[in-house]
Amino acid sequence: MYDLKIVVEKIEGFCDLPMEVGDYFTVSGGKIEIPEGKHMCLWAMQSLMPVLPAKQREINEENDWIPHTKRFICPDPNGGVVFRIDRIDPKTGKSVKEEVEIPPRIQVNAEACTGCRACETVCAFVHKQTFNAEKSRIKVEKNEIKGEDTPFVCRQCGDAPCIKACPVNALSRDFETNAILVDKDKCIGCYKCAKACPFDAISFSENDVALICDLCEGDIECVKRCPTDALKFDNKGGKE
Amino acid sequence: MNYGYCNQALRINLSKNSIEKEALDPQFLKDYLGGRGLNVSRLYEEVPPEIDPLSEENKMFIGVGPLTGTLFPGAARVNFTAKSPQTNILGDSNTGGFLGSEIKFAGFDQIILEGKADQLSYIYIKDNQAEIRSAEHLSQLDTFETQRKLKEEIDDSRVQIAAIGPAAENGVKFSGIFCNMVRAAARTGMGLVLASKNIKAIVVRGTTDLGAKEPDKFKKMIDKMDKEIKNHSEYETRTRLGTTQLVSSLNELGCLATRHFQTGYFAEADQVSGEYLEENYKQKEKGCFACTIPCSRFFEIKEGKYKGLKSEGPEFEGLAGFSSRVGVTDIEDALHGVDLCNRYGLDVITTSECISFTMELYEKGILSSEEVDGLKPNFGNSEAVFELIEKIKNREGFGDVLADGVLTAAEKIGRDTKKLAMHVKGLEIFQADPRGIKGYGLGVAVATRGGDHLRSEPWFEFSEDAEAGKRRFGHPESAFRLEYKGKGRVVKFYEERCVLADCLEACKNTVVNMEIISFQEAAELLNALTEYDFTAEEIQKSAERIMNVERAYIVREGIRREDDSLPERFLKEPLPDECGESAGSVVELEPMLDEYYKARNWEVATGIPTEEKLRELGLEKIIVDLKERNII
Repeated sequence: MYDLKIVVEKIEGFCDLPMEVGDYFTVSGGKIEIPEGKHMCLWAMQSLMPVLPAKQREINEENDWIPHTKRFICPDPNGGVVFRIDRIDPKTGKSVKEEVEIPPRIQVNAEACTGCRACETVCAFVHKQTFNAEKSRIKVEKNEIKGEDTPFVCRQCGDAPCIKACPVNALSRDFETNAILVDKDKCIGCYKCAKACPFDAISFSENDVALICDLCEGDIECVKRCPTDALKFDNKGGKE
Repeated sequence: MNYGYCNQALRINLSKNSIEKEALDPQFLKDYLGGRGLNVSRLYEEVPPEIDPLSEENKMFIGVGPLTGTLFPGAARVNFTAKSPQTNILGDSNTGGFLGSEIKFAGFDQIILEGKADQLSYIYIKDNQAEIRSAEHLSQLDTFETQRKLKEEIDDSRVQIAAIGPAAENGVKFSGIFCNMVRAAARTGMGLVLASKNIKAIVVRGTTDLGAKEPDKFKKMIDKMDKEIKNHSEYETRTRLGTTQLVSSLNELGCLATRHFQTGYFAEADQVSGEYLEENYKQKEKGCFACTIPCSRFFEIKEGKYKGLKSEGPEFEGLAGFSSRVGVTDIEDALHGVDLCNRYGLDVITTSECISFTMELYEKGILSSEEVDGLKPNFGNSEAVFELIEKIKNREGFGDVLADGVLTAAEKIGRDTKKLAMHVKGLEIFQADPRGIKGYGLGVAVATRGGDHLRSEPWFEFSEDAEAGKRRFGHPESAFRLEYKGKGRVVKFYEERCVLADCLEACKNTVVNMEIISFQEAAELLNALTEYDFTAEEIQKSAERIMNVERAYIVREGIRREDDSLPERFLKEPLPDECGESAGSVVELEPMLDEYYKARNWEVATGIPTEEKLRELGLEKIIVDLKERNII
């Protein structure tokens, strides 16, 4: 069990309580303490409350989001008060060096997508030396009447359902890049991974091997080629 | 694997119901590069001058280029070529979007349509195969509905479709071919040629491989060009506004086609400009296949009488055509006008000319209200604009007078109205006033498909770089839009750049206006991409060869120097005082023509290519043909 210190890290909007940067409260076991003479916002506290017991506990599950997530925002959209939860070692009283950074992922902003399909073309070309989009691991669906363009591509889910769904263990995670790797010799083309994928990001090649983004070993060609940043690779929350 | 070229054409004879594949000779590909070049070469050889463009003897050639379908930014284009029913000379129109690349992935560099189907049909092409299917259920459907239904019917969201609308089916001479809803190959009546063959649509799906001979080298060159494009001074404006930037910029120069070219200044331009469209209606940027300059836009009107009108586009020609040219000051009316043309399958330039011509005649009292079916077509009367579009589409009432284009309309009306018909060789001119951009004026006058700016786009005349003007074109004046000296050489140069763009099937934004690739770079690209060797000199010569084949083609159809002209207004009436720096200007066409023919080594008196020039370009067959016909 950790102790916690919840600090106001920054204020992006306006708080008329007011909360100020540096204000904090601590949690030790079941006890909340606010420094003498200070106050804490009721609404921020009620929104933080459910996560505090979870943050107190050690979690060993590899892809669980709780250890990675340390910032919460005041529920008033005009306030923008950002709270950071630091874990404190009760023996030393010092904050624990933070475990893992959130890994970057491919982020898709369909509203910015021009529908040009350059991402498909470059993906097929760097992987298979053909411009034929059938061999691309990213696909753009277009609705020309509505003007909608939607890229479908792997987002490197933490708890990847495709890996779990594969009956022959053909899928694995590259722990260096975080990409999902396909063992083309093992893949039997059963489409179970595609059905499990929450982003409809898996298609199949002509010989029925799953096509999943491999992040180009880090130098991601579709992201580089996208003219409007509809595709990005980073760890900030992007708009879907 | 195909490298740049598929080395294969598809020949479909609709009368005989035969579908054949034809190997393309490597020398043919080298000499004519692709798209427009392949098409005009075949048109010259296969379509003799005696034939009626609407008869079974006419043929349609659909060509893509070596860069189409590759990563080259904006190499998304495709040319449709036939003898034009609108002008009776070279018919040729080009569009972007996604059809071109799909044809390439289906395994063809060119598709040739001959004869006439016995019922309304569509052609379905997939991966080296083709079939002719009935399209009777699509009869009279607009272009949007046709595309939507076909997609549904074939049940594949990735098929690409070229379709005609009711205007073509009803026999309107300036009807076009539409892809990706609004991408239009609408000039010179190519839609009507398809209709005359009983073809409602061409549907293409391609999943075959297309690669580069030296993939790493090709990719490196593309990456470098992408960078150049992103760093280009015009990049930001082009992605924000695309061609619609021209409404305000041409208006500032005093040469925006306004109220049928009675002036070059539209006082309400700010309300119909690309900037106004962006601020109030733009939803997002849109791009053609693999293009890094998303210069197209998707817009939506969210309230008012056009609530729910949404579409990609418009481009400058449609936006100005249905605002300044017809005097309409409400951008929503202009957007509605463009949308009607897109759905009915009409060319926006010709349609807006026919309507603004009617308006000028009406305001001058040459046409009475009774003659125009009781309408009161004053400039700015948007309801009259919409009525006339409907009538043209249906060829009913006065619409029937306009439906063959402005030249025929003027001939039918008589009363000395021909001099007010804004066309060259039967093709209506664009939304800029040549008096303020004289190089463009020359380009429009000599364009091989009739009055059209996209054959030359002599962008250099905006540069105001006197030193470059002297160095590149022999006259410092050539760098200034209101001067005429040196423009013959400027136009020749840019005509060949346009041929290059239309053969590689890349966008003129990059190849011509932004001058992203030189002939040298084009050669290097094709050498990395294809199995053939090209030099810069060969490519430049091919571009010149193609220009000469086109000229020989129209010369064979009877075109001479006197047809390389401009409407009288541009030669005699100076632009009015409100046109700023352009005020007082007319086009000094004759000296520019002299210089142009000399630069081309064509006969100055007649505009006929000399035997010497044709021989230099290896066009012996054309020499023989023109000699047999006593032309040279």
